[in-house]
Amino acid sequence: MRLVNLRVIYATACGLALAGIVHVATVLAIPALSETDALTRARSSESLEHPQRVYTLATHGEAAPAEAWLPIPDPSVAVGVCAYDLDDGPMRVSARTGAMMLSLAVHGRKGAFYAVTDQAAVRGALDLVVLTRAQYDAALASDDENEPSRDVRIVAPSDQGFVVVRVIAALPSQRQAANDAVQAVSCTTDSPDEPDPDPAPASASPASPPPASPSPTSPPPAGRAKPNG
Amino acid sequence: MASGIDPAATAVAPQAADARREPSPRQGTDRGTDRGTGTAAGRLRKLASGASPAALALYALALGAGLGLASADWATRGGYPFGGVTVGAWTAWPRAGSTAADPYTRAVNARRGEVPLAVGEGLLLTAAVDDAGRALDATCTYRIAGVTPPARAWTLTVAGRGAPEPGRQPVREGFTATEILREADGRFAILLGPEVEPGNWLPSPRASGPIRLALRLYDTPVAASAGTLDRDAVPAITRTGCAS
Repeated sequence: MRLVNLRVIYATACGLALAGIVHVATVLAIPALSETDALTRARSSESLEHPQRVYTLATHGEAAPAEAWLPIPDPSVAVGVCAYDLDDGPMRVSARTGAMMLSLAVHGRKGAFYAVTDQAAVRGALDLVVLTRAQYDAALASDDENEPSRDVRIVAPSDQGFVVVRVIAALPSQRQAANDAVQAVSCTTDSPDEPDPDPAPASASPASPPPASPSPTSPPPAGRAKPNG
Repeated sequence: MASGIDPAATAVAPQAADARREPSPRQGTDRGTDRGTGTAAGRLRKLASGASPAALALYALALGAGLGLASADWATRGGYPFGGVTVGAWTAWPRAGSTAADPYTRAVNARRGEVPLAVGEGLLLTAAVDDAGRALDATCTYRIAGVTPPARAWTLTVAGRGAPEPGRQPVREGFTATEILREADGRFAILLGPEVEPGNWLPSPRASGPIRLALRLYDTPVAASAGTLDRDAVPAITRTGCAS
């Protein structure tokens, strides 16, 4: 009788230990498997050139549309997302700053890793480039030293993610303008013409030391030659 | 590469959905066994003595899967289970949007489709109770007064829990830093209640039931050090009266 009880207790203990393992595994797996998370929902906007509307502010004529999927949205902040996939090339987010406060936050698979507001804008323009480490090195190498790039370059920890654009309408009369400001941000994939010319100068650079060369091809060899020397 | 990952993810996902749906029946069987232990130990003993090792293994597996999935579902439903910083009646989760977020927070975000504010972007403070610790109720009148932590812009909004009531068009859901009427010293007072009030009146979002306040600070230095916030730096929430 006692032996039987021990067996049941043993089975229960095993069950509880298993429950712990299942619990931890499930919690860790939820972000990857979820179909309702922001990354999966933002995926559909990858081909767009402008942010996908996540939360559009209610304006005088119309109420906030039902497409909003934020659980508790701020009724005075317009939100849009641009998904990126760095396998297709670096992602460039360009915003023109205006009277309204604008912020860009870059989210990877594990959460937001960078955020910048319109206060960082240079001459009213905010250019954010999200790239992988390899693309960053390539961009750095192809930089012209006399004409430094004004882009804010962010190395992403994961290839896929999304950029969140938030524009704050301080007054109800600014809501339409805030909605428009979100749409005015452009999210483009820097076409592979940046990584593409790279292999050619890489093979050519040891053979062609003179930095002064025809204008279209000059930046990559010059950049390559300088760090080496 | 991406097209190689995506189909795999979608192929795995249905299984996950099934697994998530599973807890209810299995939980039911577990509960049945538990009730057996509680009411008739003898019956269980009889059952156990007749049980083969295979049945016991099955029982252990069912218990592990059921309890594990149910507890994971419970822990990631609703709000963030931990990592909150309490300042007066307000609570902030400064790490909710960062890459340093704990796995539970990430799971909650994934399930709700939430896009939390990043540390450099702002900070969200929520309050479900007043300064005395009583739950905020839609039938009561509250005075939300004081100052906010330094920020370029802030909004203070009120929402009822759950889905909004259909047919009830809110006059106003919140105030922004620009809209609000201030006193001469820069402090402000918002009156939240079902009846019209002078000054900054925030109507209750619903006729009755619990409500929640959200204070969002945008572009604030506080986000990086939410733990050092002082009680006097956030608006105080005091109940001034209740209709019922």
